[in-house]
Amino acid sequence: MNKKSFFNVEGLNKSFAGLKAVNDVSMHIETGEILGLIGPNGSGKTTAINIMTGMIKRDSGKITIDEHNIGDMPAYLVPVYGLVRTYQTIRLFKSMTCLENAMMGAIGVGIGRRAASEIAGELLEEVGLGESIGLPAERLTFRDQRLLEIARALAASPKFLLLDEPAAGLNEEETDMLLSLLKTLPGSRNIGILIVDHDMRLIMNLCNRLQVLNYGRTIAEGLPKDVQKNPEVVNAYLGSTAS
Amino acid sequence: MSTHRHFLSNCEAAPAARPQSTSSYFSFANKWSTVVLLISGLVAIGAFIWWLNIPFIEDIFTSSAITLTMVLGFQLYMGNSGILNWSYIGYAGIGAFASAIFSMEPAVKTMQIPTMYPFLIKLHLPFSLALIAGALTAMAVAALVAWPLMRLSDSVGAITQFALLIVFNVVLSQWSQVTNGPRTFTLGGLRYTTLWVALGVASVVLAAVFYFKESPVGLKLRATRDDRHAARSSGINLVSTRYIGYITSAFIGGLAGGLFSHYILSITAASFYLHDLFVILSMLVIGGSMSVSGAFFGTLLVTLARQGLRQVELGLTRSGFEASGATEIVLAILMIVFLIWRPNGITGGEELTWNSIRRRLKSFTGRKKQSAKSQQQED
Ligand SMILES: Nc1ncnc2c1ncn2[C@@H]1O[C@H](COP(=O)(O)OP(=O)(O)OP(=O)(O)O)[C@@H](O)[C@H]1O
Ligand SMILES: [Mg+2]
Repeated sequence: MNKKSFFNVEGLNKSFAGLKAVNDVSMHIETGEILGLIGPNGSGKTTAINIMTGMIKRDSGKITIDEHNIGDMPAYLVPVYGLVRTYQTIRLFKSMTCLENAMMGAIGVGIGRRAASEIAGELLEEVGLGESIGLPAERLTFRDQRLLEIARALAASPKFLLLDEPAAGLNEEETDMLLSLLKTLPGSRNIGILIVDHDMRLIMNLCNRLQVLNYGRTIAEGLPKDVQKNPEVVNAYLGSTAS
Repeated sequence: MSTHRHFLSNCEAAPAARPQSTSSYFSFANKWSTVVLLISGLVAIGAFIWWLNIPFIEDIFTSSAITLTMVLGFQLYMGNSGILNWSYIGYAGIGAFASAIFSMEPAVKTMQIPTMYPFLIKLHLPFSLALIAGALTAMAVAALVAWPLMRLSDSVGAITQFALLIVFNVVLSQWSQVTNGPRTFTLGGLRYTTLWVALGVASVVLAAVFYFKESPVGLKLRATRDDRHAARSSGINLVSTRYIGYITSAFIGGLAGGLFSHYILSITAASFYLHDLFVILSMLVIGGSMSVSGAFFGTLLVTLARQGLRQVELGLTRSGFEASGATEIVLAILMIVFLIWRPNGITGGEELTWNSIRRRLKSFTGRKKQSAKSQQQED
């Protein structure tokens, strides 16, 4: 049996010039599960991810993976402790090949070049980019760029993966593909996933648990079917999108 | 979904590259063919020119091989990090003076540069060691000053490097006890940098610069160039990665400077300033800064163009036109034209490889057949 790891966030706070973007948010994920983080535009989802990965400094709060205090580490050390992310606006190394892009995930956590190329190659095959290994990332389709970003993240062999709107810009068919890919990851790689997305079909089909943010505050959390019925959530967010 | 369609249509045109063997996703043989091809080309040209035995042409080749070394070191940092490193030429200057001080006979030093510090006069190493010691000196200076500058990117990064170049230039041109100050520094010894020495060093540096580009550090540096944020969240330490690239680049610059001083045999600080930086920059831009092949072909092309233009310039001046400086103007315009229409230079940022040559040949013969066919149809 795989060893379980725990990602814990306690009382996270962040203000931008008086605006409370993240307000006392706590979050718990363990390996093997998928947590959905949803909420209206500007509710602080991306900011929360930015803080958790050390990309921006928090005002207060505690971020740990098992016994490691991630919150006090420089951002470039966070992947070494098993936490990686993708971006809402895709960020790739656009002039480098797909293989090199995916390799960077592994090289970034200290894996040698040859081993990294093997890991990257296998991952690219797995996500369906085997044909594009030698292409520069900028020549990929939008969908493939999303997949490549996920492959790069997985190449770091993370314990926890934070996905910021991976389905944004994808059509229904492509979203289904993404869904089936993501669904297998917790089991096959023993990782915990935090996914942010506005596509409720994806979220409902994928997540074990949901957490809802509004104005930087957690307004609900629990099983998808319960959260979906929560009047405050319907009022703040789902009312306009869910049927 | 318009962006989506756009990307899709883009990809249809792209050739799908499959891994060469099933066991490895990296074709190391194809990658390293770049080094084999470029060094073979360099050695072939060098051997031919040596066989011709025309001193004037031999001199042009030797100085171009030195320039190539210089451009390669420039490419190592600028190409992989995406930051224009103005101070680079200063490291060439440091290497030039330092290696000369190391290699000169104490007696010659006392005579040529009477103001020199006594402990520097006493130093004496054989040429090969002096060359490396000079390069190490440049690298040590880079290691001392660079750390706080490494987190600066874009124009701020370029401006600080420019300021650093000014500092280097003033120090080199004023420090009488080391560089003979504003007066010419004459080495007064043998011309150690022969055609074969320049060729040998350039070849080794070419292989090293290519190795750097493909090494973990080189890959990391390229990643920071393409997206700083994604690099950081992939585990890449921007400052230390750039630092390694920067001081390695300074080492090669120092090496090139040492070759230069032992070739030209009398130098001043002015030999390592804006004009020469402009020349190597134009070579790198025209060749394509993102690839080692770009440094190679840029140096080759601009050297040939400059020699040609120089003859034209001389001819014009002789026939009564005042045309001095025209070469520089043509070069500057060429650089601008490239930056507008072909920012990745003639190589397009790609490396020359077996596969790229084969592809080129195939598409060339294919096109020929096609045009023959269409001509037949027209007839
Ligand atoms: N760097 C910043 N400086 C100032 N304000 C910011 C910054 N980043 C985010 N904000 C603000 O913080 C709030 C939360 O933004 P955030 O991007 O986290 O929202 P989000 O939940 O990801 O929204 P979306 O669903 O649109 O992606 C917004 O009001 C935003 O304007
Ligand atoms: Mg967001």
